Amino acid sequence: MQSLSQTSTAGVLLDLSGVLILLLAFACLASKLFNRYVVYYGAQSVVLSFAAGTAAVAFHSAELWILAALTLAVKGIAIPVAARRLLITRLALKRDAAMSTGLSTSLIAGGALTAFAYLVTRPALLPHGTVASAVVPLSTAVILLGSLSMVVRRHTVAQLIGWLIVENGVFLGAITLVATFPFIVEAGIFLDIVAGVLIMVVFVSGLTRQLAEASAAELRELRG
Amino acid sequence: MTALAIFAALGPLGGPAAAIAGARARLAGLAQAAGAAVALGCALALLVLLDGHAPLAGWDGFLYVDSLGGFFLMTVAAVTLLAALGSIGYVAAQEDSGELSGFQVRLYFTFFGLFASLMLAALETGNLGLLFVLVEASTLASAALVGLEGRARSLEAAWKYVIISSLGVTIALAGTLFLFYSGSALHLGSNLGLTWPYLLEHAQALAPQPLRLAFLLAVVGYGTKVGLAPMHTWLPDAHAEAPSPASAMLSAALLNTGMYAIIRFLAIAQARLGHTYPRAVLLSFGFASIVIGALFMVRRGNFKRLFAYSSVEHMGIIAVALGFGGTLGLYGALLQTLNHALAKAVLFLSSGDVSLRYQTREAGQVSGLLTAVPVTGGALLLASFAALGSPPFGLFLSELTIVRAGFAHGSPVFPLLLLALLGLAFVAFARTTAGMVTGSPPAQLASPYRGRAAVAVTAAPLVLGLAALLVLGLWIPAGLDTVLRHSVGVIG
Repeated sequence: MQSLSQTSTAGVLLDLSGVLILLLAFACLASKLFNRYVVYYGAQSVVLSFAAGTAAVAFHSAELWILAALTLAVKGIAIPVAARRLLITRLALKRDAAMSTGLSTSLIAGGALTAFAYLVTRPALLPHGTVASAVVPLSTAVILLGSLSMVVRRHTVAQLIGWLIVENGVFLGAITLVATFPFIVEAGIFLDIVAGVLIMVVFVSGLTRQLAEASAAELRELRG
Repeated sequence: MTALAIFAALGPLGGPAAAIAGARARLAGLAQAAGAAVALGCALALLVLLDGHAPLAGWDGFLYVDSLGGFFLMTVAAVTLLAALGSIGYVAAQEDSGELSGFQVRLYFTFFGLFASLMLAALETGNLGLLFVLVEASTLASAALVGLEGRARSLEAAWKYVIISSLGVTIALAGTLFLFYSGSALHLGSNLGLTWPYLLEHAQALAPQPLRLAFLLAVVGYGTKVGLAPMHTWLPDAHAEAPSPASAMLSAALLNTGMYAIIRFLAIAQARLGHTYPRAVLLSFGFASIVIGALFMVRRGNFKRLFAYSSVEHMGIIAVALGFGGTLGLYGALLQTLNHALAKAVLFLSSGDVSLRYQTREAGQVSGLLTAVPVTGGALLLASFAALGSPPFGLFLSELTIVRAGFAHGSPVFPLLLLALLGLAFVAFARTTAGMVTGSPPAQLASPYRGRAAVAVTAAPLVLGLAALLVLGLWIPAGLDTVLRHSVGVIG
């Protein structure tokens, strides 16, 4: 498989996109407003789509072009718009109060997870000087940050966004690590469908009102 | 043979077809059971045809069934049949009492069949990308079953299940990516390169460092579906809130499907990395699960949660057995999978009958089962003993095999620890179930079923499952032995 060097134009652009995606994941972790979650997620998806386009040019891959277009259309536009219309406006969600830690604690934990991501992916795993060695630690960090925001937030919508960020991290890693992964478009489409189903489920069942809007970590019946 | 594989995966769709056509619970349940019987028949026929021959492969590796896949197909199809039989009485009773609306009944059978079908399809594919897709799709289908009753608790359990499992399966996708990356030297580009048999054949060309990470991610990711601790947190809630036959499907079919995915990754990892690293990973997660499962079983309360924690414990035992490795360990792991599936199906199905009759899921409020409902009470008691590994049931044999494998592999610490934990689990579990079956029953217990046929069809899967467990404890049929040996050979 061809691998891009870190200093080529495409390599620099991918690296930059990776950093932006990580920063947006941090921004989402540091926010308390539902509106912002969706905006940051949408922006992150647009950057991911740009990164996929860059990789498509560099690897001459038609599949990555499809992935870039899909990412822009579905994750960059459709999911944020649907989440906003169906969930945030309709359910009148504003401030997320259902958190199990304070913002500063979760940011510090996020920093630690980023360092951990570099620690585990850097040595020996990735050939030095390739773009993968720069971007895969970033994508690992994004996966961990998304998981962290799923853990510290108890609201269903916030958890859903956290999962979508994890997914972005996985695809960021995929386009740089294994650009020839044959199943990437199918997996992307499938995960988009899952995301759509989950948004609909939260909308139809009113799951937010049932469990999290009362923000009651204390009310949770299922324990142990 | 290809046709057999297709019918095995599509068979359970009989239930959804009937439900969508507007059938009521009894008819839809019968269609579901007939479909599951077709699937089981096809799986058995596949196993017979595969005996000693090359695996069934086609469509660029999207279809791939070998002895191991066939064995899991048989297990899942058998559980589907038992659970479908159990559904007839359970769902019809709930429909009659008005607890489930006609729409909910149709939803139940639609998603039940879809869930079974997706799991069977996942066991038939050699493509790791498609495996990921099918496993995640089965999560969605089964989450609908968990949340079916629509109460706040069941919705919360369904959400917890779907979001934790989705995260897990996404991590498994990352593992699949790293596995693919470890094969960079092979210049993989087509779908064929992502298939399990191809990667196993070329395992020596895989890069070891990414492969280690890939294996770890796969165990964490698919382990979430298996319910290995500490990723098990969705499991007790989902099992407790789902309708009982659906709980049986979760515990006895879904967890095994996840374990199947882990076994596929294990085979590749062992071929390249040797035994030390995979063993360390599997023993850690396995023992963590057994400890968590056994400790939480001590708490008395909802009996379905008790059975759920027992599933965590048993999945831990299977992971430990895979970690011990060797012919003995792998053989024990597969035998344990089949036995546990049967025992847990019987336990959850009988718990369904109990919760219908007593109108509660709290163990403390149930007593005198043996007097009030001898068949269910007897099945619950015997299946409990089976699940705890007492002779003469199958799990005694498989757990003995696993402990022997542990002693054979070197340090006696692990098998001794396993024995101690099994003892703890025995006491914790039996303490609760013994209280349920003994004593005197409450004064008035109305039968939730209409007619004798419904009572008989409720008892049928219990008796069938127990009979199979007893047979497996006394004697392993030659055919099954051959299949198990071939499967062990596949894992390596």
